[in-house]
Amino acid sequence: MGQSLDLFAAASAEGAWTVGEVTRRARTVIEAGLPPLWVRGEITGFKAWRSGHWYFSLRDKTAQLRCVMFAKQNYMLPAPVDGMQVFVFARPSVYEEKGDFQLTVMELLSTAEGGLWKLAFEKAKAALLKDGLLDPARKRRLPLFPSRIAVVTSPDGAVLRDIQSVVGRRWPLAELIVVPAQVQGAKAEASVCSALNRIRRLPVDVLIVARGGGSVEDLWAFNTERVARAVAAMPMPVISAIGHETDVTLCDLVADLRAPTPSAAAEAATPDRSEVLQQCGVLGQRLARALRIASRHVVERLDRTGDRLVRSIDNRLERSRALLATHSARLDALSPLRVLGRGYAVARDVDGNVLKRVAQLPSGKEFRLRVTDGEVNGRVQ
Amino acid sequence: MAEFSKQLERLEAIVRRLESEDLDLDEALKLFEEGVERLRVAREQLAQAELKVKKVLEIESPS
Repeated sequence: MGQSLDLFAAASAEGAWTVGEVTRRARTVIEAGLPPLWVRGEITGFKAWRSGHWYFSLRDKTAQLRCVMFAKQNYMLPAPVDGMQVFVFARPSVYEEKGDFQLTVMELLSTAEGGLWKLAFEKAKAALLKDGLLDPARKRRLPLFPSRIAVVTSPDGAVLRDIQSVVGRRWPLAELIVVPAQVQGAKAEASVCSALNRIRRLPVDVLIVARGGGSVEDLWAFNTERVARAVAAMPMPVISAIGHETDVTLCDLVADLRAPTPSAAAEAATPDRSEVLQQCGVLGQRLARALRIASRHVVERLDRTGDRLVRSIDNRLERSRALLATHSARLDALSPLRVLGRGYAVARDVDGNVLKRVAQLPSGKEFRLRVTDGEVNGRVQ
Repeated sequence: MAEFSKQLERLEAIVRRLESEDLDLDEALKLFEEGVERLRVAREQLAQAELKVKKVLEIESPS
């Protein structure tokens, strides 16, 4: 009885705990008694809030635990889905405002092969494949002699230095347009997309998207569907050099060419200046030779034409000569001299008029008589 | 400065034309002169070029 009296006695403003006191106490006790630990379970009720925080529960056959994973812990992670078996490294605590016992998750690993990354990668890859963005026929040829090469990469660091030195050595005729982007961290995805967006409007012949090696988390921006689609939509050919040779990202897969390193990307983007100089030498030789041949052709044609000219004049003269002979033969046939040769004579008066009739020859008229070999004078008797 | 690729493309076209077509001397000479000039410019570009690097600063595009 005394006990129950005591109980009632405690039910006073002074004796009772406030809700806040209990939850605070519970939180202290739990946080002291349960240090951060790994928990294994199945994800259920997963929800990602606009703030970036994730809320879900972990369950097994007998129990369920509420979990929160804040944006600053999860930003690099692809989101898990319900039913996935995971390990979480979490701090057990009490969310005082709701009095909820919950885990604050700091790490989340999938037990599936390759983990969350692999699953998210495959999911995004399948989406790209479905839209035909991984079709080898989409791959464009790189320009032979680029005038403007754009680079999306971290503004400071070895990657840009390497690219700059290779392009400077091989093809300094180009202009290198560097568009800096954050290539890792929470803002990498948006930053890379915004850099790509800006280049889209520039007169650029070829684009290099590059990033040095790093962990799968470091490279994650280049494995997001958003970046991959932005790369695929670029109007100019894209060379991708992300991570080490062994890491193939979605960005690599949609690019027109994948280079194993940033330096290799720069080499692929440029011709070698000394080779081009050599090529120019060959072109110069061909030019000179072509002119020699062309002028020889002209001279030959001139010769041929000259020959034809001379020949045509010759022919012409020959024809004229023949014509002349014909004419002179005909003329000869008609000549009155021929008639005289046969014994006829022509009588003409002193003025040269031919005297054909008796009336023209009265007695005493003087005339000249033309015979075949000369002329004699006479008078009519 | 004409873009190098255009320069070289034109030069190649000139050489091919000179090689394949029966041109009159006047035209052949004109093409040859143009070819020589383009070759000179191309070589000069190759010899004197220095890499220009331009940084496009990150300005958040309004979204």
